[in-house]
Amino acid sequence: MITRNPRWLLSLIVLFSSFFSSVATSLAEDVLRIGAIPDQNPERLNRLYSLLSTELSKELQIPVRYIAVTNYPAAVSAFRTNSLDLVWFGGLTGVQARLQKPGAKVLAQRDIDVNFRSVFIANTGSGIKQINSLNELSSLRGKRFTFGSESSTSGRLMPQYFLQEAGIKTTEFAGQAPGFSGSHDATLALVQSGSFEAGALNEQVWLSALQTGRADPQRVSLIWRTPAYADYHWLAQGNLDKRFGDGFTNRLKQALLSWDKKSKPQATILDLFGASRFIPALENQYKTIETIGRQLGKIQ
Amino acid sequence: MLELRGVHLHGPRGDRLKNIDLIIKPGERVALIGSSGAGKSSLLAIANGSLLPDSGTVLWRGRSLNRRHHSQRQAIGTLWQDLCLVEELNVAQNVNAGALGKRSLLWALANLLAPIEINRCRECLEAVGLPANLARASLSELSGGQRQRVALARLLRQKPEIVLADEPLSSLDPPLAEAVLNLLLNNGIVLNNGIVLKNGLPSPISMPNTLLMSLHQTNLIDHFDRVIGLRSGQLVVDQSTDGLNQAALEWLYQPT
Amino acid sequence: MIRLRLNPTPPLLSLLPALALVVVLMEMVPGIHSGGLQSLIAFISAAFHPSMDPSVVSSAWRGLQITMATALLSWVVSTLIGVVLGLASATLIWQTFIGKSWPAILFRRLLAFPRAVHELLWGLLLLQMLGLSPWVAILAITIPYSALVARVLSDQLDSLGARPLIALRQSGARPIQALTTAIVPPMAPVLMSYCGYRLECALRGATLLGVFGLGGLGTDLQLTLQSLQFEQLWTALWMLAAVMVILEQLISWWRQRLRSSGAAPKELLVSVCLMLILGICSSIWLQSLDLDMASSIRWHQLPLPTVSELITAINELPWLQLIFNTLLLTVLAAGIAIGLPPLGMMLWPSQLGRSIQSLLWGFLRLIPTPLAALLLLLNCEPNLAVAALALGAHNLGVMGRLLKEALDQQSDSCYQALKASGAGDRVAWLYGSLSAQSPSYLAYAAYRADVMLRETAVVGMVGGAGLGWQLIESLSSFNWAQVYLLIGVYAMLTMFGEVLSDHCRQLWTGSKKKPVMALALQS
Repeated sequence: MITRNPRWLLSLIVLFSSFFSSVATSLAEDVLRIGAIPDQNPERLNRLYSLLSTELSKELQIPVRYIAVTNYPAAVSAFRTNSLDLVWFGGLTGVQARLQKPGAKVLAQRDIDVNFRSVFIANTGSGIKQINSLNELSSLRGKRFTFGSESSTSGRLMPQYFLQEAGIKTTEFAGQAPGFSGSHDATLALVQSGSFEAGALNEQVWLSALQTGRADPQRVSLIWRTPAYADYHWLAQGNLDKRFGDGFTNRLKQALLSWDKKSKPQATILDLFGASRFIPALENQYKTIETIGRQLGKIQ
Repeated sequence: MLELRGVHLHGPRGDRLKNIDLIIKPGERVALIGSSGAGKSSLLAIANGSLLPDSGTVLWRGRSLNRRHHSQRQAIGTLWQDLCLVEELNVAQNVNAGALGKRSLLWALANLLAPIEINRCRECLEAVGLPANLARASLSELSGGQRQRVALARLLRQKPEIVLADEPLSSLDPPLAEAVLNLLLNNGIVLNNGIVLKNGLPSPISMPNTLLMSLHQTNLIDHFDRVIGLRSGQLVVDQSTDGLNQAALEWLYQPT
Repeated sequence: MIRLRLNPTPPLLSLLPALALVVVLMEMVPGIHSGGLQSLIAFISAAFHPSMDPSVVSSAWRGLQITMATALLSWVVSTLIGVVLGLASATLIWQTFIGKSWPAILFRRLLAFPRAVHELLWGLLLLQMLGLSPWVAILAITIPYSALVARVLSDQLDSLGARPLIALRQSGARPIQALTTAIVPPMAPVLMSYCGYRLECALRGATLLGVFGLGGLGTDLQLTLQSLQFEQLWTALWMLAAVMVILEQLISWWRQRLRSSGAAPKELLVSVCLMLILGICSSIWLQSLDLDMASSIRWHQLPLPTVSELITAINELPWLQLIFNTLLLTVLAAGIAIGLPPLGMMLWPSQLGRSIQSLLWGFLRLIPTPLAALLLLLNCEPNLAVAALALGAHNLGVMGRLLKEALDQQSDSCYQALKASGAGDRVAWLYGSLSAQSPSYLAYAAYRADVMLRETAVVGMVGGAGLGWQLIESLSSFNWAQVYLLIGVYAMLTMFGEVLSDHCRQLWTGSKKKPVMALALQS
C-alpha cells in the first residue's frame, strides 16, 4: 500500500531534508553556554538565568544561552564534557569540576560567599538545646538528623565535617544513617514537621525562610551557626579565550564584577542571587573544601 | 419448584427467547432439545440466574430468583457446556469450589493454600467414578472425560436440589456419554471399564432427582420423563416422553 | 493424622504479598505525627489552584514536550532495533536459514546485559560519555528497551514452533517467503499490542530520567518538589496527568481495534511507516525545542578505574548490608505493589469500589516516587517502612491498572459459573477471575519488582541505606570504581531475580512456558 504510492516516499524525503537543514542552521555560530547547579525552583532559575543571559549577551556581544541542568553531579559532568562554558557551582561541586577539568578558571563569587555559613536547626519539641561550642554537637548523637542534597557544600559537606570534628559519625544518628532531604527547603520542612529532630542547611535559605514566615519559630529553632567558609562561585572553561578571542575570559569576569544595583536588570539579578555584588574569587579560597572533600570521600 | 414466567430475551439479531412459560416439578427429569442457536443455553442461563431476562421472572420454590440470595442459587446446580473449571487450581480445590456458597472468605483462601476438607472431596470424586488419589492432580494432567467428571464432582459438592446441564454429552464418546448420563440421572456409577455399579455404594452423596438437561441425542430421550423443545426461541414442544411423536422432534431440527 | 501439604496456588500468591503492608504499617504507625499536616494540606489545596504564572506554565510545557518527544523517538528507535535483534536471537530464524541455532543463543546471551541495566543507570553513564545532549535520554531508554523487545519477540517466535515453517519449506518455498508467510500473520497482533505498551513505558521512563536530572518534565517535577513549590508542582503534574490519560486511552483504543480487526500484514506495514514518520517528527520536534540534536554529540572517554581502585572500592563498601537493605526494601515495596491491587479488588468488588480504586491507582501512577516519599516523610518519622511504602505506591498504581485491564479482557464465564452456584461476589471473583489472570500477573510482578529494586535510589531521603542510595552517593563523589561495581551488582541481582522467578513459576505452576499475556505486558 505504501510502495504503490510514491507520495508517501516524497513526504518522507521532505521530512528528512527539513530535519537536516534545521540541524545545519543551529551549527552556525558559537554560543556561550551557561549553567547552574539547581538549588532553587525552576521558575526562579529560569527567570534568573534568562535575565543573566540577556545581560551578558548585551555586554559581551555574543549569543549566550542558559542550559538547565537538574542535579549537582550532572552539572559537574556537563562541565567535564564541555557541554557548559560557564557554571554557577557550589563549593564542593566547583572543586570537583575543576579537578576533573584542569585549566578551568574560578572567576567570581558573591560578596556573601567569602564568609558563608551553615546553620544547624532543631525541632522545638525535640528537646535539643542551644549549642555553644563545636563539642556540644555531640548532643545530636542518637537523634533523627537530616542533611540536604548529597553534593551540597552548605547542606552536607561542611555540616558533616563539623560533626566529625565533634566526634560524631554519621552512623551514630537514629536509624544508623542520616537522611538526605534533597534540598535546603525540604530539610527545613522536615525538621519543622518533627519527622527529623534536627538538620543542617544553608544560612541564606534559613534567614529568608524566617523573613517570609516559612520557618515558624514556635516549631523550629536555630541551635548552632557553623564557622565561616567560602562557598558558591562562577567557574569558566579554560578554552574560552581560544574560542571567543584573546582576553575573553577576563572580559567575562569584569562584566560580572561590574554589576551593581543601579541598573535595573542587574539589580534584579543580584537580588535573585541574594547578593549586593559579585567580587573576585581565588582558587586557594577553596583549598579547605578540597581537603575536607577528600577526607569525607566526596573528592577522589 | 423451578418456574419461568413469560421470559423474554432480546438478542443482537432478533429475539433469542420468546415468552417462555415453564414449570419443573420436583423429581422430574426433563430433556431440552432444539437445534444449535435455538436458545437452549440462554434458557438454562436464565434458569440458574446467571443471565437476566429482559422481561419475565424466574421463581424458585415460589420466590423470585434474586441475584443476592445465595441459598437459592446454591440449590440450583449447573453443569456448564465448557465446564468452567479453574485451570490454575488442582482437582480437590476445584471440587471444593462447589462449596464456596456455604463457606466464608477465609475458608476460600485456606483452600487456595492447600485443599481442605479433603475427605469430602475424595467421596465426591469416588461418587463420580474417579480414583480418590487424583485429588491432588493438576487439571492439565486430566483427559476430557476426567475433566467432565471433576465438574460433576464439584456439582455433588454443591449439593443442589436441581441440576441444569448444558449439553454435557456433546463432546464425549458413546460409552463415556452413557456414563455421564447415568450419573446425572442418578442411576449409579459407571466406571471407566464399563462396569455399572447399579445404585452404587451406599453413599450419602448423590445427584438430586430433578434434572433439566439440553442434548442433541434424540435417541436418549427415553431416559427422561418429559421433553421440551425450542425452535427459534419459542417453546414448541412440551410433553411426556411416553408416546412421544418422533416427527415433532425431527421438525425441531429442520432449518427455519 | 493430618498431613498438611502447603501448595500455594497462583491466586493466593498474588494476594499473599499484601502481607507486607501489615509489616510496613506496624513499623510506620507509631511514628505518625501531625507536624506535617500543614504541608500536606498545602499540597492538596494546591491541586485545585495550580500556578498559572506564564513562566511556570511555559517551562512545564517545554519540559512536557521534551519528555514526550524523547519518549516517542526512543520508542520508535527501540522498537525497530528490537525487532531486528529479536529476529536475530530467535532460534527459529537461524534454523531456517543456516540450519544451526548457536548464533541465536549467542545474541540472546549478549542481550542479557543491556536488559539487566536499568534505563536510569544507562542515563547516568551516557551523561558521562555524551555530555548534556538530548541523545543521553534517548539512548538510555533505547538500549534496554531494544533488548527487552528483542527478548519478548524471540520468545514468542520460538514458542510458535517450527512446524508451519517446515511444511512451507517442504513445499518448496524459499526461506524468506516461508518466514513471512508462517510468521508475520501470527506475530503481528502480539507485536503490535506489545508495542503500544512500550510507548507507555517509554513515557514513564523519560519522566523518571528527568527526575534524575536528564531534562524534561521530570526535572520540573523534581525541582519544584525540592523547593516545596506545590502550586508550580501541580502545574506540571496536571500536564503529565493529561498526557497520561490521553496516551492510555489511545493505546486501549488501538488494542481494541487490533482485537476487532485482527492485524493483517498490511496493517503491520502501515504501522511501521507510521512509526518511522513519528520518529522523524519527534526528532524535528526536539530540534525545534532548541535542543541541539547533531552538534552536541561529542564522545568523551568514560573515566575507567584502575584495578587497585576497584579493590579499594570492594573493601570500602559494606556490600552485604547494602544488598540486604536493598532486598528488604524491594521485597516490602513489591509486596505492597503486587498484593494490594488484587486484595482491593477482592474486598471491594462493587461498581463504585472499582471506580474509586481505578481513580486511586491513576493518582498513584501520577505521583513520582520522590514526591510520595516527601509527603509521607512530612507526616511520619523516617524508617525503612516509609521508604517501602513510597516506593510501592507508584508501582501499585501501575500494577492495579494492569490487573484491571487484563481482567476486563478475560472472559467471565468461570466467575458467572461460581456466582450461579451460590458463591459470593468476593470468592467468585477470587476463584473465577483472579485465578486465570494470576500466572501472568505474577510474571509481570517479577519484572516490576526488578524495576523497584533499581528505583530504591529514589528514596534516599528517608535515610541513606541500600545500593540505590550508595550509587547516588558514589556518583556524586565521582568514585567511578564504586559506581561500576554497584552497576555490576545491580545487573547481577536483576539476572538472579530473573532466574529465580522463572524457577518459582515452574515450581508453582508446573509450566515452563512464560504466559503469553505476561510477555505482552513486560515493560
